[in-house]
Amino acid sequence: MRAGSSGGLSRRDVLKAALVGAGGVALGGALAGCATPSAAGAGRTSVMIWDLFSGGDGALMQEMVGTVAAANPDIAVQSTTLAWGPPYYTKLAMASSGGRPPEAAVMHMSRLAGYAPGGLLEPFDLDALADLGITEADFAPAVWQKAQYDGQLYALPLDTHPYIAFHNPTIVQDAGLAGPDGKLDLDAVSGTDGFLAAGRAMAEVTGETGVGWGYQRDPAGCWRMFWGLYSQNGGEYELTPGRPAALDEEAAAEVFEFLQEMIDGTVAARNQDGNAAAARFMSNRTGLMFAGEWDLPMFRDANPDVGATQFPAVFDTPANYADSHAFVLPKQGSPDPAAREATYRVLAGLLKQGLTWASAGHIPAYQPIVQEPEYQELTPQRDYAPAAEVAVFDPDAWFTGGGSDFQTRMADAMTDTLAGKAPGRTAVTRMLAEMDRFLALPNPA
Amino acid sequence: MTVSNADVTTVPGGATSRRRTPAASPGTGTRTSGTSLRAQDRSGYLFVAPFAVATGLFLVVPTLYGLWMSFTNQSLTGAGSEFIGFDNYVEAFRDPQVWETLWHTVWFTVLSTVPLVLVALIMALLVHTGLPGQWVWRMSFFAPYLLTSAVVWHLSNWMFQPDIGLLDAWVAAIGLEPIGWLTDENVAMFSIAGVTVWWTVGFNFLLYLAALQGIPQQQYEAATIDGAGGWRRLFSITLPQLRTITGVILVLQLLASLKVFDQIYMLTAGGPNGSTRPILEYIYDTGFTNYRLGYASAISYVFFALILVFTLVRLLPARKEA
Repeated sequence: MRAGSSGGLSRRDVLKAALVGAGGVALGGALAGCATPSAAGAGRTSVMIWDLFSGGDGALMQEMVGTVAAANPDIAVQSTTLAWGPPYYTKLAMASSGGRPPEAAVMHMSRLAGYAPGGLLEPFDLDALADLGITEADFAPAVWQKAQYDGQLYALPLDTHPYIAFHNPTIVQDAGLAGPDGKLDLDAVSGTDGFLAAGRAMAEVTGETGVGWGYQRDPAGCWRMFWGLYSQNGGEYELTPGRPAALDEEAAAEVFEFLQEMIDGTVAARNQDGNAAAARFMSNRTGLMFAGEWDLPMFRDANPDVGATQFPAVFDTPANYADSHAFVLPKQGSPDPAAREATYRVLAGLLKQGLTWASAGHIPAYQPIVQEPEYQELTPQRDYAPAAEVAVFDPDAWFTGGGSDFQTRMADAMTDTLAGKAPGRTAVTRMLAEMDRFLALPNPA
Repeated sequence: MTVSNADVTTVPGGATSRRRTPAASPGTGTRTSGTSLRAQDRSGYLFVAPFAVATGLFLVVPTLYGLWMSFTNQSLTGAGSEFIGFDNYVEAFRDPQVWETLWHTVWFTVLSTVPLVLVALIMALLVHTGLPGQWVWRMSFFAPYLLTSAVVWHLSNWMFQPDIGLLDAWVAAIGLEPIGWLTDENVAMFSIAGVTVWWTVGFNFLLYLAALQGIPQQQYEAATIDGAGGWRRLFSITLPQLRTITGVILVLQLLASLKVFDQIYMLTAGGPNGSTRPILEYIYDTGFTNYRLGYASAISYVFFALILVFTLVRLLPARKEA
């Protein structure tokens, strides 16, 4: 740098610039800590909602928020969609513990056990909900029960979303697995032998594979499949801190033996992830596909006639893995009664938009919607609605649930077995060891 | 940072002006009087101020705070901030996952560092030897380095895709069984290292190329006159002259590889069966997914200490040589 003042920058100029820069850095640091300024105009109450609907259902949620916002002109509703997965729950927990969370957020009900006890959430005021026409009677008892913690309502259920079976009606018919209505006959795919035979029949029709299951690099998919089938096989569990984890090892091993038979390269592809399975299913190269019902909009775009049923009864007890989206109230550092009142109104409005939500594939939790004739006419939604009646949720423990490290570790434990490198027992032993590890961890709440 | 108030006045708005003192006026900064020397020293502090403030706020304070947290049972949910002494460290040393994931990090470092140095050297030698169209080579070798990890993930994800991926299509075309590029425990880390080499080798290549261009031409001329052939010149002049830069590249590369996280987190998230999970992902999972910030901080410090020891061991002999 030149120290002289002839023409170019003087040292003083540079110094000034540097100090302004330093001030800017300090200022930027201070500002970064502030909440984003709300879009609320004068006199409007701002309500921010975080959701995790980064799939096809996200657009429908935006549509619902738009409708509710239009009906409540005094509220400025801001809806933010974040990518679903472990980072979503990290952000939500951090925002809550930092005291400046959004007014409401969407959460998987399976995560409630990890959130409510830690004081990250606030319970709902039942009287305020009743004033808006929302009462216990409007929900299925099992779902309402699941939303409770310590005798209070911590989650307002939005839907039940089961892990179901989609099918391609043409392939199903060609394979002789259709009922008189041309849709998949559930009896034709029940029982382990019945299901595998049906898979082979569909594989013969497609010339490739019969069943699509993208289990590679998808811990959640592995867990949903296992837990649903394990419940069908009558499996019970014990996950109590301070005691060893317990599973019905025989029942669990049978599930893995069935899955190993299924992933034989004919019934289902040996090495497939979610993208590949969906790609094959949508290009008519697979007859049946296991996926969450939230994939319905995507599959329907590819094939308007796509069919869907509850999970086939591969084992004896009817059971269908499911989770539930619910609205929660993250704990506010400085609660604002006006914002709270506005939040209740927005959430009540969103629940009543259930019909829009159902078009994304979800089964609305708010029963008055389900009973409407319009919902009863939705296909294939009504074909898999019975899944909600036999829904089996994640095991109860603070570390379980959607987007948890627990699901990742359970899927890790299954890897060698699903790849055919180890017997079914190996997966069970490894899962129990992992469960014991989680049980020994201190509850971070 | 130490700036005395006598010399600096802060004006509203964050700007600061320097009070006029004879010693500090521009143009008089000759190094003859003691006062002007001191004034220059002080202005030096001002120059480093922006850096010092940013470093302090975003590096020093969080690092020390992390050290404090490693002695507490702090949770991300805000609960638990009691001092628990060395409990976290004891747990870390007994936790098999710490050592397993540390081994994955080391294994990745070995798999990536060796080719990242050798391939870069070979590419630089080839380009320097005078391949036609030098700029095309320079650009295409360096271009991947400009991509962000997310773009690299997208590209490689579709190539490695199980069942319908590009690479498996090629493998099938020559009649082989498909390979679980990211889904086979024995293959996944090699795939990730391969992508990393393609992605970041350009930087090392550039460093080598610059060093090659700095070797005095006379040495080659003298050697040629003495009758040295191409290989002799390579082994007796070029490679010895590249020793310093190789040391630099090696250290930079080791540090970069030990920090591996992005590409693994996006491509396999540590799978299959945890076989690619690096220690940084374990720290991330412990702290941010399982909310155990205190314990995660302790593992970070164990890792930090190991790198520090490794660096010192590497550095001490180098000092002696110098």
